[in-house]
Amino acid sequence: MPRGLLQLVFIIMVNGFICATTTSAQTPRESKKVLILFAHEAQQSAQIIAEQAIRSTLIKGTPDQLEIYSEYLDAARTPIDSFEKDIVSLLRRKYEDKKLDLILAFNTPALKLVLNNRSVLFPRTPIVFMILEQRNLAELHLGSNVTGIWAESNYRSNLDLALQLQPETKRVVVISGVGQWDNYFRAAVKEDFQPYEGKLEFEYLTGLTVSELQKALSNLPPHTIVSFISSAQDKARNNTGNLEVLRQICPVSNSPVYGATDAQLGLGIVGGRLTSFERLGIVAGEISARILAGEKPEEIPPYGVPGIAMFDSRELRRWGISEQSLPAGSIIRFKDPSIWQLYKWHIAGILALLALQTSLITILLIQRKQRRLAKESLAKLNAELERRIVSRTAALDAKTSELETFAYSVAHDLKAPLRGIDGYSRLLLEDHFTSLNVEGRSFLQTIHSSVEEMSQLIDDLLAYSRLERRDFNPDHIELAPLISRLVAQKNRESIESNVDFVVDVNGSSVVADANGLMQSLGNYIDNAIKFTRKVPRPRIEIGAKEMESTCLLWVKDNGIGFDPKYGDRIFDIFQRLNQPEDYPGTGVGLAIVRKAVERMGGRAWAEGKPMEGATFYLEIPKSNGATLTNE
Amino acid sequence: MNEDLNPILIVEDRATDIDLTKRAFAKRHLLNPIQVARDGEEALAYMDRWRAGEPLPVFILLDLRLPKISGLEVLRELKKHSTYSSIPVIVLTTSAEDRDVAEAYKLGCNSYILKPVEFNKFIEVASQIEVYWCALNTTPTT
Repeated sequence: MPRGLLQLVFIIMVNGFICATTTSAQTPRESKKVLILFAHEAQQSAQIIAEQAIRSTLIKGTPDQLEIYSEYLDAARTPIDSFEKDIVSLLRRKYEDKKLDLILAFNTPALKLVLNNRSVLFPRTPIVFMILEQRNLAELHLGSNVTGIWAESNYRSNLDLALQLQPETKRVVVISGVGQWDNYFRAAVKEDFQPYEGKLEFEYLTGLTVSELQKALSNLPPHTIVSFISSAQDKARNNTGNLEVLRQICPVSNSPVYGATDAQLGLGIVGGRLTSFERLGIVAGEISARILAGEKPEEIPPYGVPGIAMFDSRELRRWGISEQSLPAGSIIRFKDPSIWQLYKWHIAGILALLALQTSLITILLIQRKQRRLAKESLAKLNAELERRIVSRTAALDAKTSELETFAYSVAHDLKAPLRGIDGYSRLLLEDHFTSLNVEGRSFLQTIHSSVEEMSQLIDDLLAYSRLERRDFNPDHIELAPLISRLVAQKNRESIESNVDFVVDVNGSSVVADANGLMQSLGNYIDNAIKFTRKVPRPRIEIGAKEMESTCLLWVKDNGIGFDPKYGDRIFDIFQRLNQPEDYPGTGVGLAIVRKAVERMGGRAWAEGKPMEGATFYLEIPKSNGATLTNE
Repeated sequence: MNEDLNPILIVEDRATDIDLTKRAFAKRHLLNPIQVARDGEEALAYMDRWRAGEPLPVFILLDLRLPKISGLEVLRELKKHSTYSSIPVIVLTTSAEDRDVAEAYKLGCNSYILKPVEFNKFIEVASQIEVYWCALNTTPTT
């Protein structure tokens, strides 16, 4: 074979393989098909419970796509024997093409149907059955590829349980119908109860209508229990149905009714060791899933599923049966929801809110504590500060007192020699007048005026320093009388001057230190008198005006005035603008005014022009440190 | 000087002030004999002399700043005494301190006069004192 051809073949082969693989991977796996054949009508409660359990278990347990078909034979109401062949033919035609993977037969009539027609009805399809009575298997030939479960007979264990819960029971009333299955079950029950014959009194109410049952059950003697078996059909041929019968008779019964299946729970039965259709459905579903997954039915031999102790909480309460006396593992349904179950979100919400509040309160408490600690340390610091202030103030007071003593000494000690100088120069002038020439007399006169000046200076300095030390005593002062007193005093002191005083204070009053105010105005007036001495018609105006928050006072004269550029300097201590020969003075007077007014929180200033007079102002606040405490 | 008249007691440490005071009184023709105490101790010693029978002064001129015992102490002792408390005490001092004025009056001084520097004014003051305390004022007889 030429080399190129070989290559081609290889390529085709490889490609073909790849294509084949791809194709098989792309083909979806076929879904599994399951038929559930139910013996009874579609709406039978037990069947509904079982079907739901089967379907959900199958779906959960099978990874493949599932197609589940259900058929209902309604065999209890219409026995199927006479038209079995028609049903078989219908099912065969209906499901021939589906290629069923599994058949589930629920209850004996259904199982019987598929087993009897195994040769025509999908002979190779595995069968899983689910029946209520193991003894029914005796009359059936299962054959190969078949497995299943049955409900373990529980009439006797049910009665055992009832007697355990109500040991004082003397009588058992057994209710059953007269339908085909009713008869079957009654027979089975009678067999089961055989060992109790003689120990308990049994009464069989068979085939009674609902109203007859109601009447009978409402008149039962004490220590009776009712065992409900089935009531598919009564003697009047009513197919009321087990559940409906129970629904109507339980409420009127004066004795507890024990039932048979979990489908009946909730209709008024106490409960018992019940056949659980839910459980049966789950188990059958699990077995089916295993077979669909590949297990052979032969590997799973048929077995019985035991009943489950189940109770209705409301009925237990009605008949005074304590939950504690129930066997371990019992299922209790229809429990009143607890407060927790009813309100768990409310409770959780409230708890969360409480927790939140608690944490908020905790935070607040912590903050409060921190604040308190801060406050305490602040108080400590304040106390420490206070202590220091007290000790420093004491030191300062001592210093001030020392200074006072010093000033006092100055006054005393400086003035005493002055007095000597003046006294003796005066005595010299008076007593030895004739021994002195004109020049000598003039010298003595100069000594005298020097002494006078020095004495005045000392007095002014003392007054200035006294201002610092004197307590500040605010008082309510009417200006008019104060000024007229001052004017009178000044007139008296300077008799030679002919000043014309004009006072207009508009009835103003101030809150101020009386001594300080008196001294300040007095000094202003002294000043005005001094600087008007040389004008022809001296005139001094004293005025006052109450402003919004201050009181303005002024002393205006028509004296020699001053250069405005010195307006501020004239308030400085020892500051003079004129020759002492012309206008004697110490230069302390206005400094005293400024200091006194500043101590009252006010201010002092002056306006003037040379030869055009001057105005001296005082401005005193109406209320500040000077607020009266006794008003 | 008339020995029959009751004396005037000057309590003063400065010699010039004592001399000037005497001269001032002399210029006003005051005839009472002048007694002098140069310090507080000497002033208080007069109390023993009075007890011994010496005549009481018409008034006492008391300076505040004195050696040994202060003028205010002397004032306190005098005014505590049952008999001597009626002797007028005129505080004659350089101190214009409010504190001193207040304290002196509290202790019972009869007058508080600032000692003028100018001799003429001093004579004026001496004259006023003489007129008031020797001529106008009446004290209990002892």
